[in-house]
Amino acid sequence: MTNVTIRVQRFNPDVDQKPHLDEFQIELTQGKTILDALHEIKEEQDGSVTFRRSCRHAICGSCAMNVNGVNMLVCDAPLKDFVDRRGRVTIRPLPYLPIIKDLVVDRTSFWEQYQRVKPWLLPPDDVPEKEFRMSPDEVKALQDAEHCIMCGACYSACQVVAMSKKYIGPHALLKAFLRVLDPRDSAPGERLTDLDQGDGVFRCHTIFNCIDACPKHLNPTQAIETLRKLVMKRQAFEAARAQRQQSLDQPISVE
Amino acid sequence: MMRIFLLQRFSAIALLVFLTLHMIVLHYPPFHIDFDNVLERLENPVWKAIDIAFLFVVLVHALTGVYMVITDLDRLARYRGLITWISVAVGAAAFVYGTQTILAFQAP
Amino acid sequence: MYKTTGFVSFFLRRLTGLALVVYLFLHMWVIGSANAGEEAFNDRLDFFQSDFFKLMEIALLAAVVYHAFDGIRLLIVHYFDVTDQRKSMFYAVFVVSAILTVVGGLPIFLYMLE
Ligand code: FES
Repeated sequence: MTNVTIRVQRFNPDVDQKPHLDEFQIELTQGKTILDALHEIKEEQDGSVTFRRSCRHAICGSCAMNVNGVNMLVCDAPLKDFVDRRGRVTIRPLPYLPIIKDLVVDRTSFWEQYQRVKPWLLPPDDVPEKEFRMSPDEVKALQDAEHCIMCGACYSACQVVAMSKKYIGPHALLKAFLRVLDPRDSAPGERLTDLDQGDGVFRCHTIFNCIDACPKHLNPTQAIETLRKLVMKRQAFEAARAQRQQSLDQPISVE
Repeated sequence: MMRIFLLQRFSAIALLVFLTLHMIVLHYPPFHIDFDNVLERLENPVWKAIDIAFLFVVLVHALTGVYMVITDLDRLARYRGLITWISVAVGAAAFVYGTQTILAFQAP
Repeated sequence: MYKTTGFVSFFLRRLTGLALVVYLFLHMWVIGSANAGEEAFNDRLDFFQSDFFKLMEIALLAAVVYHAFDGIRLLIVHYFDVTDQRKSMFYAVFVVSAILTVVGGLPIFLYMLE
């Protein structure tokens, strides 16, 4: 039976001036996740440890935290994989975001940027009688971007976000990418114009932290590069989309 | 924004050529640089043209770079317009000054 | 602080970039002495060709080479779909620029010793 030291960053806005680390001893057992360890601490050692969690199987996105300097979903992280050489695991809240308490951060800017890119589909005026049709290639081009669970791991890992909260951020740019490339969307031109703003796609400095942080193995950087290319040929892309929307209800022939 | 990005990118590609040339000509093999041996090269109008183009490209790249660094910062982002104009002014002044220097290499 | 290879690369890109801008204006001021005639130019250049500045030139070469290869890496990322190779590309840039700095710095160093 081995013990690990869990160091949790604590911050109570009513009492503390700045965050500090608290240490807890936890028994290391097979199959225990970091979230389980946090629960154990809260239930058996210190009831005031505060953190967000809900689904505990990596789909709600509420438990994103910074473990040993890397952003991840703690419910999906086996404790034994993150014990460092000194037998410790260090858990901090998502970096660069205002801390509300302990491991809970204020995600206002995250959601504001998400709203800004109009994350919903803007369908054409005449909706086809039956269903919309998309070819396998068109679906593939979306690069599974709809798998994003909005956990904020990429957003808070982004160096550009750290410098400016006005930057749209990898999460919202990935969503914008999903909508721009969707053949059913009828306003790619306006979307691309907005993304061309000073805090849009060209603010990305290709640091790749978002890819490294994403628990769903998505690729915001590639999405941003694609959006940049589309901004550069916006008019042609708009025309092609208008053309494509003529045949949204036609069956796709696959060779 | 796209325009600044493209300016930076194309000037970068041009710089890869210009700067390689510049360093090979002026530093390999290393020698003691003085007025005469610079003049010897710059007497050729083609070299003068190359150097002026190089100056232009390098200023574009430097100033777009500084512009990006400054506007990355939250607090300075609202002076974006002002920063743009300052950059253009600095660039124009430096270009005129540098061109003068290049043209100053004239056989007496 | 979110420290990754990407951050190191970005930080160095910024650092070398800003250093090169400072150098550019310094450089323009130094050769700007040509406006005041041959003598002024030779005097100022003599000062900037001392051993100390030769050594600084090697540092300058390192900055230029790193910045250039980092830029080439960004171009590759933009035009090809290579985000999966990002780690090896970072290291490739570090290694290539280190090698080129040594190769390019050596003649300057030897010349300085003469
Ligand atoms: S608790 Fe839902 S993603 Fe971790």
